[in-house]
Amino acid sequence: MLIERARSGDDTALDLLVRRHHASAYRVALSITRRDDVAQDVVQDAFIKAFGALGGFRGDASFRTWMMTITANEARATLRKRGRWSESAIDDVGPIAADEPDPAEQAVSGHESARARTLLETLPEKQRLSVSLRIDDGLSFREIGEAIGSSEGAARVNYFHGIRRLRELME
Amino acid sequence: MSQTECGTIREYLPDFAAGRLGTDQVGAVEAHLPSCAECRAEFELIQMLLDAPPVVPERLADSVVSVVRTSRRSGRRPWWGISAAAVAAIALGIGVSTDRAGNVAGPVPEFASEADEGEAWLSDDGLLAGAPSIDGLSDEALLELLEELSEEGAA
Repeated sequence: MLIERARSGDDTALDLLVRRHHASAYRVALSITRRDDVAQDVVQDAFIKAFGALGGFRGDASFRTWMMTITANEARATLRKRGRWSESAIDDVGPIAADEPDPAEQAVSGHESARARTLLETLPEKQRLSVSLRIDDGLSFREIGEAIGSSEGAARVNYFHGIRRLRELME
Repeated sequence: MSQTECGTIREYLPDFAAGRLGTDQVGAVEAHLPSCAECRAEFELIQMLLDAPPVVPERLADSVVSVVRTSRRSGRRPWWGISAAAVAAIALGIGVSTDRAGNVAGPVPEFASEADEGEAWLSDDGLLAGAPSIDGLSDEALLELLEELSEEGAA
């Protein structure tokens, strides 16, 4: 099993775990920090911490959920450490994703899709995380609850509330 | 269209749109969507989001692998020595605990005590105020809230 191999120090297993879960971790980190460079640092730190604690991973949750939980908390801790350094400035400029297409490109291709994604980032953190983890990563509401520190029911409400709000914003 | 049916279909929509749904459920969704404008609109929104996923930096995996390997081989243990308890604390978050029922026992945000119960999270002002917390609500209250959201969506 991959986790067992990673626990015993198998580099290949560790690499596989990174390659399998880094994209989801990045999306969680970006959703919370809203900055590409910070999100990448968060993902790196989260994997280092997770692998450092593999011995304590009991398998109650899936590795993916466990990894998302650590990433989300690492992202929040990073924001706290930086004194939420420029939250207002970040809000002013909106989310910055890697290789974000310029407005002209967006207008030509997938304008509405890009708009939906941009508006998603304006929702409160738990709503946008619930929507993103459900849609982008296919997590169940139980898994989302574990990842964002909510109950399963709260994750479900956050998701549907986020979807409803997004539909209103798109109109 | 019954709310129960729409509720079930809406739960399936993300996995349906992403091609992750089982055959039986796919049939249920395909049978439902043509006759339900609300669920169809939600499905279209989900499709839009899936069409524009956040771009993950190409070299992120390589850089993480590199840093992890370097850390492991350095002999220094700033992270390898982290106790499982410490990481468990990270995973559970700081300052929040739950009882057996899963209710949050941490501090209640100030706005929660000021808001009119049952209204705050449904108001348009909720977004401006930072969205009231729903984490401490009971399962019954959450169910009620879901039903209200469902009714609003259908209205």
